[in-house]
Amino acid sequence: MEVDSQEQLQRKQSTYLSLDENFEIQKEVYRGQQYSQIYFARLHMMRTLLYSLVPNWKSHLPVCTVLELKEGKECIIFGTLYKHMKLKPCILDEYSKERSVAPLIKPHNFMHQDDYLVLEDESGRVKLGGTKLSPSVYVTGVVVALHGKETSAGAFFVEDVLEAGLPPQIKRPLKSREDKYVVFVSGLSIGRSSSNPLQFQLLVDHITGHLGDEEEQGLAAEIVHLVIVGNSVEISRGLLNGQNLASKDQSRLCEPFKELDILLTQIAASLPLDIMPGSSDPANFALPQQPLNRCLFPGSTTYNTFRSCTNPHCFELDSIRFLGTSGQNIDDLTKYSEAKDKLDFLERTLRWRHLAPTAPNTLGCYPFTDRDPFLIDSCPDVYFVGNQEKYETCLLKGLEGQLVRLICIPRFCETGVAVVLNMRNLECHALTFGTQISS
Amino acid sequence: MATTSKNMNVFYRQKKNSSASTGKKSTKSPSPKHAATFGSDITQPPALVSHGDDFDEQEQVLRQFDMNMAYGPCVGITRLDRWERAQRMGLNPPKEIESLLRGGKVKLESLFDGRV
Repeated sequence: MEVDSQEQLQRKQSTYLSLDENFEIQKEVYRGQQYSQIYFARLHMMRTLLYSLVPNWKSHLPVCTVLELKEGKECIIFGTLYKHMKLKPCILDEYSKERSVAPLIKPHNFMHQDDYLVLEDESGRVKLGGTKLSPSVYVTGVVVALHGKETSAGAFFVEDVLEAGLPPQIKRPLKSREDKYVVFVSGLSIGRSSSNPLQFQLLVDHITGHLGDEEEQGLAAEIVHLVIVGNSVEISRGLLNGQNLASKDQSRLCEPFKELDILLTQIAASLPLDIMPGSSDPANFALPQQPLNRCLFPGSTTYNTFRSCTNPHCFELDSIRFLGTSGQNIDDLTKYSEAKDKLDFLERTLRWRHLAPTAPNTLGCYPFTDRDPFLIDSCPDVYFVGNQEKYETCLLKGLEGQLVRLICIPRFCETGVAVVLNMRNLECHALTFGTQISS
Repeated sequence: MATTSKNMNVFYRQKKNSSASTGKKSTKSPSPKHAATFGSDITQPPALVSHGDDFDEQEQVLRQFDMNMAYGPCVGITRLDRWERAQRMGLNPPKEIESLLRGGKVKLESLFDGRV
């Protein structure tokens, strides 16, 4: 076997364009504003959009505001939905005299059959009735247009709903492409006692081409990008309880980062990589999470292939648009609504054209004054979410010919599964790494 | 906040002499929804009326701008920022407001600044 073969395998490359500007908050100044500003921006943008869609939907009906509703008059109203939930934890529960009402153990999902929806615009709010709008599907923060009429009880009986629908998609150039792969991995949780460093090392070795024969290496050479979708480290709870740390504990605090940096340096030396913050990473709590500080990765930042990105993260590779989050938005939807699987939630956020409709109600969010950065105005080609229980994927087709690959990326620490996407045809498959030696 | 106006007529002034009133929103039922700050039951929202500090026509125009719902909430954002936001969103806020605000002799913060 020749050690130095005649032809060296070249890794394929693709052009990268970052579209994260919208999610950066360096230029924002906090002047004591409240969340009413971001809700106003959201309502205004979505209402303008929905208003343009109404003629194709029901052109014969008049449009009015909530305060202009008259009993029996059929019309269309626009507004933000608010879901009143009986079991939603409320800060006032701590102060209530009777302690027996709220259960001590928090449920994972706060839905109750008595939940109801309310529509709100600048002029007022009205309770929604009828069966068309199901409270189990919708959450607070979604902007919709409703067709119906006011009942004698003062509620609005909904006859039909208009959601924004999938945003328009920029057509990708159809030139025949070669196979180029993007690898997604999330939930590495380095620092957790149950995390197996060998699994991630295997992944790194596979991607960098240190594993396998020439054919395997040839496949690895077609991987052009790696995205690490949140929760890369996990700091043990004992170190985070607010006490002063002894120097021994301080070095324990840094160990996960050192380990991660060593692995990321190996990757960055080989191919471009993006790392996004997640809920367990040392980034800000409120969305949009800002990029992890470069000081955490002294070895990797020397490479220009290493990019620390925001969460949510939007970028283009060879003009294919990718959009995704580390999971907080979908996890919040799971708590406040229900669907048959996580891909359903992903699809709903696209149809509502909003990445995180529950922000700022139940999901931490920066109080923007002039825009809502989570509005999706261009349909991505690949829409991913990290830190989910299992790998799921489907291809979503829109009414105007949009095609989106939806991907749920599982937690690598628990499953050993990474996801590989072929940019040529948007096909997806799982890459599983196991370290059990079968006897 | 105690009312120390010089004359109670100022407190109960009717709205008719303000020409910058929001004509395009007259179809909405005119509920005094911002009366909460001072808790009085007068026809005109008391926040628009001064309480001892003198205000002029310009401030009155700017307060009407603050109160106009079409441009969004006014709390926590400077008047000029709010005007620019409305401009960016295509709401066509009146140019006079911008020139007043850039003129420099008026209060740049909304009327609720420091009071809420």
